[in-house]
Amino acid sequence: MRSLPGFGARGSLLAGWLLVLLASTSAFADSAPADILVSRQLLAKAHLSIGDVVTLAADSSGTRARRFRVAGVYEPTPDPMRFNVERIEARLHLDDLLQITADPANPASADAVSVINVGLQNASDPASVRSFARTLSARTPFIYSESTRDSDNYTFVVIDRFHAAIAAVTVIGSTAFLLALMVIRAEERKETVGVLRLIGISRKTIMTEVVVEGLLVAIAGAAVGVLIAAGAQSSVNRFFQARYDTTLIFMRISARIALRSIAVAVPVGVAAGAVASWTLLRRGTSALVRR
Amino acid sequence: MTAAEIVVAKNLTRVFPMSAGPVTAVRDASLRMERGDYLAIGGPSGCGKSTLLHLLGCVDTPTSGTVTFEGRDVGALSDSERGRIRLTRIGFVFQRFFLLPMLTAWENIELPQSEAGVPAAGRRERTRALLEYVELSHRADHLPSQLSGGEMQRVAVARALANRPALLLADEPTGELDEETGEHIAALFDRVHADGTAIVLVTHNAALAARAKQRLAMRSGALEGGARDSGLDAR
Amino acid sequence: MTAFALAWRTARRYRARAVLAVVGVAVIGALNFDMLLLSHGLMLSFADLINSTGYDIRIAGGTGLALSRTPLDNSTALMNEIAALPQVEAVAAMRTADAVIGKGRGAQQAELIGSSDAGGLGIWKPVSGADLSAPPNGAVAPAVISRPLSDLLHLTPGAVFTLRARIGDSLSAMPAVSLRVAGVAEFPFESQQAAIVATTMEGFRAAHGGVLNDQATFMFARSRRSAGPDAAAAAINRLRPDVHAFSNEQVIANFGRNAFTYFRQISIVLSTTTGVFSFLLVATLLTVSVNQRLGEVAALRALGIARRRIAATLLWESALLVGIGGLFALPLGELLALVLDRILRGMPGLPSGLHFFVFEPRSLALHAAVLAATALVAAMYPVWLAVKLPIAQTLRQEVVS
Repeated sequence: MRSLPGFGARGSLLAGWLLVLLASTSAFADSAPADILVSRQLLAKAHLSIGDVVTLAADSSGTRARRFRVAGVYEPTPDPMRFNVERIEARLHLDDLLQITADPANPASADAVSVINVGLQNASDPASVRSFARTLSARTPFIYSESTRDSDNYTFVVIDRFHAAIAAVTVIGSTAFLLALMVIRAEERKETVGVLRLIGISRKTIMTEVVVEGLLVAIAGAAVGVLIAAGAQSSVNRFFQARYDTTLIFMRISARIALRSIAVAVPVGVAAGAVASWTLLRRGTSALVRR
Repeated sequence: MTAAEIVVAKNLTRVFPMSAGPVTAVRDASLRMERGDYLAIGGPSGCGKSTLLHLLGCVDTPTSGTVTFEGRDVGALSDSERGRIRLTRIGFVFQRFFLLPMLTAWENIELPQSEAGVPAAGRRERTRALLEYVELSHRADHLPSQLSGGEMQRVAVARALANRPALLLADEPTGELDEETGEHIAALFDRVHADGTAIVLVTHNAALAARAKQRLAMRSGALEGGARDSGLDAR
Repeated sequence: MTAFALAWRTARRYRARAVLAVVGVAVIGALNFDMLLLSHGLMLSFADLINSTGYDIRIAGGTGLALSRTPLDNSTALMNEIAALPQVEAVAAMRTADAVIGKGRGAQQAELIGSSDAGGLGIWKPVSGADLSAPPNGAVAPAVISRPLSDLLHLTPGAVFTLRARIGDSLSAMPAVSLRVAGVAEFPFESQQAAIVATTMEGFRAAHGGVLNDQATFMFARSRRSAGPDAAAAAINRLRPDVHAFSNEQVIANFGRNAFTYFRQISIVLSTTTGVFSFLLVATLLTVSVNQRLGEVAALRALGIARRRIAATLLWESALLVGIGGLFALPLGELLALVLDRILRGMPGLPSGLHFFVFEPRSLALHAAVLAATALVAAMYPVWLAVKLPIAQTLRQEVVS
């Protein structure tokens, strides 16, 4: 592949077609057929074994059928966009695929691919990648080029925002409950606080104690919460992986997420305790000690 | 059992299993309460006075011994039957009042009547009468938080009398009150007794105990001595 | 005083915690309600979308997938055969191609649709102007364009623009053709910002240099009322076993099985999670509240108040918190659904007429059922605590503490 000025590139050509698996045999019948790889799901569904010879064709009537040997099995790269699709697929050499799919009446179809993937040597710079895509588009106006790093329209950015919105709502709801619990706890300590105020302990000292206690409890609670989430993640992943027969990871508690959770939980916990205690401390001392 | 007898306790023992070893709170106690009796039980803290009161009041069940209330063996009754006795035949007054904080004085007194199925008109009349009895008609709509300690205890006494019990049990009723207020409560108990309700009082307050017709001392779970002229037995 | 009245008084007495608990239930309940809306929302929305068009049968070629875009060969003959069926009232075909409007740096990519039916059989909804039935102005074919394209290029009905089709598997450049904007429309089956140009088949052919094979990308039909879509689809399948005719109902069912199952799954997971969450929160709150009032409860039991009344009071307390919170959860949930729907509709390529959160009475009934179950189950442990507490021991502890 000729490189564009300013960019070093390597590429791959991919073509995707719907082929038909017509038959499989477990012995070579003629000269060595070409090798293919099949997905784990296809291997299981068609009861294939490595070494089996299969016949692939362009349609169910056997158009341009060719025989191939199952040389290996692969686990399809999990595709979040297609995780619910049963991955019945195989990988062929491009030449072999085109021999089956090319329409003899259309010479151009023997040289047609679906996608050309280009790996740039300076791929870490998104601006540079986009610039390459634009330059390529300008040179090949009838071919659509885009940078795969353009994240604005990515489905997963949307899903990420969706999950973040749900998380925010959950935090708001649980903050309300936490405040309610803290109010109850503060009420339980009404007399104790009243006695402390009676003997001259300042509001500031009492609030400091409340904040420190709240901080310790909030840190412990947040840590336990992260541990519970880490435990739940394996259940969630196992459930969805079994449900959709995929190796896709649906949930991952990364260090960043754990820290973010703690960073939200601790201030909320401390603040809830402090607010509840402050509503108590605002009252007069006599009101606190009175039954 | 005679017609005048309300509660008869025979050889009551109550043992509490504790992690450090069982504790015998009441040891082989016997007593008999008749209509018109007014008994004060005194003794050092932890001697089992409150436990004895709970046993007499069908709040707790003895480890051994029997309690007979108006001829019925309390040990043979179901929990709901015991509850019914507490509701309609016994009144409780607690040291810490235990009024429901979200109900007014009127509503606190009305509550046991409502539970006993007294019709609304009857409840109104009885509640009004009881508030007058304890001289708190002007505080009928006040919440407990708006009442003084003495006023709260008077409401508690009125509540205990709501269903015209045969027996009033009071556990340190002046324990949280000052002397003067305690005196008012003591006077109230005198009136209650004069009006025909039998009273068992557990108290440290010597002045209050002195107003009772009978006095018993309790030590280490056992009843000691007794006022022989009342016919009380204490072992 | 009834148990409900006691519970109400308790909530009023402890106003702060009651209000906070209601707020908590309302927020979590709103999320739960939204997850119920999400569980069927896409299906309902897609069904609304597809049933709002003027057709009730979709004809597909190739593999027989209802939503596939495998071209249908000899489409003219196929259309005529289908139109001749007594069960079929109307047939329309469409085909699509990529196109470019303008040139150079200002060139705008667009999707070109050729339609045999002037109104597109209801695929697009007119906003202004007319449909494709307007007579061509000389050699200039009419076009209906999407609103985003109209806004982008400031094209209004009557404007003329040039367009060049792009053929994916050909190295030839197509000639630029002029089209006249007959109308502006919403294309609910296309993404929100999609640039669409729909024209007649003649216009589509002209954009391809006058040479076009007899293929259709989509073919739709409308059944006669007397026959119904199922009978008409069956008749088409009998007539032409090489194609696959689906009624809208079958297409919707297919969509429901295959499309966006992630959201159905996530709605189940989140509904369950929020349900458990609500239960835990309400149960914790009630338990702590009961623990704080054990002395009161013991005194009531000592006074002879029956266990069932105490249990009923606590159940009513739970019902009040969850019930009032659940009521507030509805408008809050609708508001949240608008926000979440807006977020999710930002997904690339999503039909603009599709919504994720769609109200149905079933969701309301489920929401109420979940709340009722939450209130009941959350109260169980606190009720158990209250009715089982040892009266004498509790009274003693209250005095000592």
